[in-house]
Amino acid sequence: MKQLTYIALLMLWAGLTATAAERTILLGPKTIGAGWKDNVVIMPEQFQSVAVGDIITVYNDRAKGNAQGAFQDPKDWSGIAEEYGYFGIAGPFRMTVTEEILPKLKARGVAIAGHDYRIVKVTHTPAADIVERIVWRGPSRQMKDDWSVYADVPAAAFRELRVGDGLRFHVSRVQQGAALKLCDFTYNALDASVGGAPVGGDAFTYYVTTPATVAQLTQLKNAEGISMRVSGKGYRLDKIGIVSQVGGVDEDESGAQRCPPEYVLAPGELFRGEKAFPMDWSGNQRFTAEPFQECTAADCLVIGNTLLPDRGGDKAQLSMREQRHWQEITGAEEPLWMDLDGTDLVYPLDNAVALDNIKTRGVVITGRGFVLNKVELIHVGE
Amino acid sequence: MKKSLLMLVMASLCAGAMACASDSAEPQTEATGVSTQVAATLVNPNATPEAVKVYDVLRQLYGRKAVSGTVAHVNWNTREAQNVHEWTGRWPAINVFDYMQMWASKEVNPDGWLDYRNIDDAIDWWANGGIVGCMWHWNVRANNGSDWTCTPGTEPGQTTFSPLKALESGTAEHTQLLKDIDQVAGYLQLLQRQGIPVLWRPLHEAAGNATEFEGGKAWFWWGADGAEAYVRLWRLLYDRLVSHHKLNNLIWVWNSQMNDPDWYPGDSYVDIVGRDNYYALQYPLAKEFRQLTAEYPTKLITLAECGNGDEVRMSKWSAIWREGSRWSWFMTWYDYDYNEGRKDAADHQFANPEWWQDAWASGVVVDRDEMKQLLNK
Repeated sequence: MKQLTYIALLMLWAGLTATAAERTILLGPKTIGAGWKDNVVIMPEQFQSVAVGDIITVYNDRAKGNAQGAFQDPKDWSGIAEEYGYFGIAGPFRMTVTEEILPKLKARGVAIAGHDYRIVKVTHTPAADIVERIVWRGPSRQMKDDWSVYADVPAAAFRELRVGDGLRFHVSRVQQGAALKLCDFTYNALDASVGGAPVGGDAFTYYVTTPATVAQLTQLKNAEGISMRVSGKGYRLDKIGIVSQVGGVDEDESGAQRCPPEYVLAPGELFRGEKAFPMDWSGNQRFTAEPFQECTAADCLVIGNTLLPDRGGDKAQLSMREQRHWQEITGAEEPLWMDLDGTDLVYPLDNAVALDNIKTRGVVITGRGFVLNKVELIHVGE
Repeated sequence: MKKSLLMLVMASLCAGAMACASDSAEPQTEATGVSTQVAATLVNPNATPEAVKVYDVLRQLYGRKAVSGTVAHVNWNTREAQNVHEWTGRWPAINVFDYMQMWASKEVNPDGWLDYRNIDDAIDWWANGGIVGCMWHWNVRANNGSDWTCTPGTEPGQTTFSPLKALESGTAEHTQLLKDIDQVAGYLQLLQRQGIPVLWRPLHEAAGNATEFEGGKAWFWWGADGAEAYVRLWRLLYDRLVSHHKLNNLIWVWNSQMNDPDWYPGDSYVDIVGRDNYYALQYPLAKEFRQLTAEYPTKLITLAECGNGDEVRMSKWSAIWREGSRWSWFMTWYDYDYNEGRKDAADHQFANPEWWQDAWASGVVVDRDEMKQLLNK
């Protein structure tokens, strides 16, 4: 009897834990700096329980006014679906998993990229956690290429809107290059993220993240009661729903992938961290020419490294390339491979061609079999 | 008589030496690094006195100081110049307007949102000592028949408008080409009537990155058919504006994309050679300045567009100058989001207050007040 009770309790616990809840799959912080050069790949293991209709949310902070986000396929760094190649950021941004996206996530994961913001965490919310109420049913509006068509939506449609909800715009007849613009009744964009956001699939969701936006949509209206105008080009707007998350939040973050620690660079340091250069030669670290502008032939780079333990008997090696065509930085036809032994490698800038290349276009460090820990520029006399 | 003969021989020797100098691959340069062979006159022999004066001042400053400039916010205004004034208390000397939305000018489009016939901003700018520049993002109908674009290609939002076809009499493209040129000529004529000279930079960045790497291509339709068609187009534009419309207030500025001599319209059609650079670091900029000086020794060399790039912050002007480049002027680009109130000044995408403060503090940058004195206004 006691054993039976125990089993019943166990089943109840299992049932409870199986209840849908927003789950953290990546823990930051991870700075996505300027120039589309930073990203973090969330590994496929994090997506094994993901299904079509689920939501992936990227919570972020420190976003600049021109910040952009992207969900990329790590296979070729293109958008995991056309509409996710780039988009403006205003608060958390999200991706709805579709039949097109799901196999990519399970096979290769997804790269969170863009520029000028910092990832705080990324979560997965099951579709079962999301409910939708349709609040506008048309008539459907076909958005022309000259952005001249507007669908006027009354403030009354938003009376149940809450902070955290999403406005889901159901679309059809989506053409390549389709874009959506959400305006207030004075035809000004609600924010930078929806001034012409890429549209793909069968829906676009705009999440309301501030009380001000709720107030704007529910209270600021014209004489006809219109508070929002939907425009854009290359798609047909069929209906609008409010989507709300009804599930809880799974506080257990033990299964989440962790971003590598972020370091504050000391003066002279160009890189500090743990960047792996696997044996398949896929690792590289780029540096623009900016920090090298005052360099002279007497300066040098100090490259700190740790050897990867499993190298299959091969050497750990590194080479320096110019950034344009990835040629050997000294101008030599064949790359110069420098063997690593885990101690700091000192690379003098006394080769005239290398110095010119590094000051003109910057440098790429490439190689295999090691973890890059530090790159420091040492000026003479310092 | 002997003395006269000696002088004649000396003069011949001198002329010969100068001819040799101009034939030489290495230009004669002053200690400042600028060419000493810069043409003393504009290519248009009928240039207005005001245009000649502006060119003379630029020549006089060349190598000694750089003239500051900003571009308009999108089209026809002095918004970016106002930003610099708000940040630093000083006005840049050049304001460059853009005829990019000519199709939306009220006299050709009742629903248009600007009026290129209203030249009050340009009149004020010139009256206050500033130099007026104009560029032309020459938009044509996109392939979808509704949008306007200058990006070549076959996508709906791009254009297949062909310079080669447009150069051929009797084609619809040729008719459109002349119609557009005549429209812009009308606006430039308004400036000429007010005695306002114009640093005129049309058909810019024509080679795109076609000469930079294999697979590179033109960024604008005017470069889509290659160098030869482009040069013919430039010359047609020159002839139409100068000979047909009698526009003598223009100082013609051509953009080099580096290593693109085939795209150069020729010494008789260009007054100033410009370079646009958004990887504007002091060292590569100095290399480019030296290269352009060597390639175009009879022309002023200018940094026609500049600013921070996607990955790098533009070097401070003091560092650019210290490195040795002596661009005749520079022009920073506008930040749409900043001008729409979406970000702080420190985050200006191309040149923030700190950059401008350094430029003024360098002591080698001319502002509008100084330009006013130089122009004797």
